[in-house]
Amino acid sequence: MAYITGVSMINVDRHYDKGVKKLAAEASSKALEDAEPEALDYIVVSSSFTYASDTQLDLASYIASYSGFRGVRALTVEAGEASGLAAVGVAKSLIDSGLASRVLVVGVDKLSDRPTWEVYRYFSKFYDVEGEGIYSIGMGGIAGILMRLYMETFKVDRLTLAYWPALMHSNAKLNPYAMLRFAITPEKVLEAPPLADPITLLDSFPLGDGAAALVIEGSGKGNALAELVAVESATGYPSIALVEDPLRIESLERAYQRLTRKVDIKNVDVIELHDSFTIMGILELEALRLAERGKAAEAVSRGYFSLGGEGPVVNPSGGLKARGHPIGATGVYQVAEVSLQLAGEFPGLKVPESNHGLTVSVNGSGSNAYIAYLRSVR
Amino acid sequence: MTGLSVPAVWRGRIHRYRLVAGKCNSCGRIHYPPSHSCPHCGSRGLAEVELPRMGRLVSYSIVYSVPSESRSKAPVILGLVDLGVARVISEITDAGPEDISVGMQVEAVFRRITEDGETGVLVYGVKFRPVKEA
Ligand SMILES: [Zn+2]
Repeated sequence: MAYITGVSMINVDRHYDKGVKKLAAEASSKALEDAEPEALDYIVVSSSFTYASDTQLDLASYIASYSGFRGVRALTVEAGEASGLAAVGVAKSLIDSGLASRVLVVGVDKLSDRPTWEVYRYFSKFYDVEGEGIYSIGMGGIAGILMRLYMETFKVDRLTLAYWPALMHSNAKLNPYAMLRFAITPEKVLEAPPLADPITLLDSFPLGDGAAALVIEGSGKGNALAELVAVESATGYPSIALVEDPLRIESLERAYQRLTRKVDIKNVDVIELHDSFTIMGILELEALRLAERGKAAEAVSRGYFSLGGEGPVVNPSGGLKARGHPIGATGVYQVAEVSLQLAGEFPGLKVPESNHGLTVSVNGSGSNAYIAYLRSVR
Repeated sequence: MTGLSVPAVWRGRIHRYRLVAGKCNSCGRIHYPPSHSCPHCGSRGLAEVELPRMGRLVSYSIVYSVPSESRSKAPVILGLVDLGVARVISEITDAGPEDISVGMQVEAVFRRITEDGETGVLVYGVKFRPVKEA
């Protein structure tokens, strides 16, 4: 058994005045309140961009000493955009195996220290650097190919796909930790400058810094926010060129299948998934069979995944699109958000009476995929 | 381009110059670039095959969000090209966004892929260009 007993998030933004260690320490302190170092068995840090942009090696140890936890065991987990949930998975394994009874997971990354053109180069490393990564795939090149293919294959128009970012912005308005807290119309998405056509700037995430922390414990159901029931994952193809059907995220399908074999998942009320680009959010909904293939965008446009809709509420935080995507921290934000939803304490858009939640993390176009299932303890 | 080292660029030159792919002795499927094992079935029994140089554009993206070393040639057209026996991701060259459409015929040409001002690395390899109608 593993329980989420404490969470904290730093608002995603350009924190020019704070470094990686400072952001991580602030999030950790808030999640742990006044815990002594002896009360902690492990610190698992997730960070990805820090490594790509050669800022600091052995980051977890430096975060440990900086945050007042010198002596505590620490390790860093890197799995590209899926680092955060990968770290949560490692923490849960430590608890389940009995090696630890209390683990702090901290996700942190800073994008604002680097010029945008450099950030684009680092983002291309989510993909195979010896394969398609030798070309200027930039930010969204591969996702752009997938989006056009989706539109052509399923005869979905660009405007229908623009309802996703509009929903994300609408959801983020109440989230104090979201970077973009203003509404946009679907039409506005089409008018925005192109990023990787047909993807526009408003189909992608803002470049912000963030840190989030979780305390995971083996016992302590009494004061827990939620139970972390299971975390599953699967690796996938190194390129969309190799997948028979590039519009299927085969790694996520497999991870989800593993999860449902392990646990009986009841009606899911709330999901935080990985919408690095509009098309990724749409393909993930279809991989989880929450919509028929080719139909997810249309379902989004008629409110199926909105609060009060027929389906589960998807990304009440605003998702990567509007909350933001501080790469290695994102998966930790998602687990914190869903835990707070299940406890009825999320400070943004609340999903009332939610008892079952999922979080989904994918690197690139699916080189790996992680999925977590959380349950209410109320 | 992602800051590959000179030796890394050199190691990949043959498959990049000649479009050499891996063919699986077990399942028969072909993958590019060649891997240590078949990405489909995991078999390590592979042979090298040269890919056809004519194909069809399955989908594409016009990429504006490129790293600094590619800014002068932005936007870059990135395509998913079907060569019949395999698909590849490549850059589409000798054409502007207005010349491109899904389903069009493309052919492989040898080009400079990138010039990394920071590391001094020049990467050459295959790109695809639209086939002119006769
Ligand atoms: Zn094979």
